[in-house]
Amino acid sequence: MAEDGTPEIRDAYPHILKIQTRWMDNDIYGHVNNVTYYSYFDTVVNSYLIDQGGLDIHDGSVVGFAVETHCRFFKPVAFPENLSAGLRVGKLGNSSVRYEIAIFKDGEDTAAAAGHFVHVFVDRTADKPTPVPASIRAALEKLIVGGSGK
Amino acid sequence: MNEDPADPRQMPLSAYPYRIEIPTRFGDNDMLGHANNVAYNRYIETVVTHFQMREAGVDWSKDRIAPVAVETLCRFHRSLSFPEMVHAGLRVSRLGNSSVTFLIGLFGESDHQVPAATGHFIHVFSDRDAETSAPMPTAVRAVYERFE
Repeated sequence: MAEDGTPEIRDAYPHILKIQTRWMDNDIYGHVNNVTYYSYFDTVVNSYLIDQGGLDIHDGSVVGFAVETHCRFFKPVAFPENLSAGLRVGKLGNSSVRYEIAIFKDGEDTAAAAGHFVHVFVDRTADKPTPVPASIRAALEKLIVGGSGK
Repeated sequence: MNEDPADPRQMPLSAYPYRIEIPTRFGDNDMLGHANNVAYNRYIETVVTHFQMREAGVDWSKDRIAPVAVETLCRFHRSLSFPEMVHAGLRVSRLGNSSVTFLIGLFGESDHQVPAATGHFIHVFSDRDAETSAPMPTAVRAVYERFE
């Protein structure tokens, strides 16, 4: 169950990104190492912001800083499996967003791991929090699932 | 979240009974010029596994009952970046039958009072053949009790 009681099933995540595991993702257990999941989180979040929200990671005036990451691991995944990362928005504030992310094995609808990631948008020059840019906000609003996002 | 009621942001490095230094690497910095959030989680994993192997005697290459990560959390308070030295502190905050929760503080090179990040890491002892959780070995528990 998610922290809000929502089951972590594939349908609860409106955006899905396919993730290809790599040989070096596996640790001594022969499973994807726990830290590597956060790299998958980074990947699904930032690729969505770039592709759907127009985030310019090279020259944009606004950047996203991670302020909190959390993950719970339910079952192992391993190279060479293909995975899916599910993304939804749990809370959209003035300058921050809480993403809820789950990792699914191919062919499975229940998450192998699930957690959250909180981004604060910061003005690159002033180094201070700034409102979520309109194009990014519009993209993130599409990921708010029923009842959440307040 | 298994965290102590005390605010970990108020805990200096000296409040953690186990401490190691972790050199940052060039590749830890992302394009914002700071250690990426995944690198912080790697520092946390490093102090936890270092403690498990050097103090608790865990041998992941042969122990059939060994700890598996089930939950990790990191809160980022200020930036770390290559080439500074990270000072990582660990203490045991919760001890169950088969699980142990570590509280972690990461500190930069020049400030050992205010953490750059705080978080927790939960290990559950697992029987690797039966693939079920298992009580932690008594000797290991005794070590954890010294670091509470």
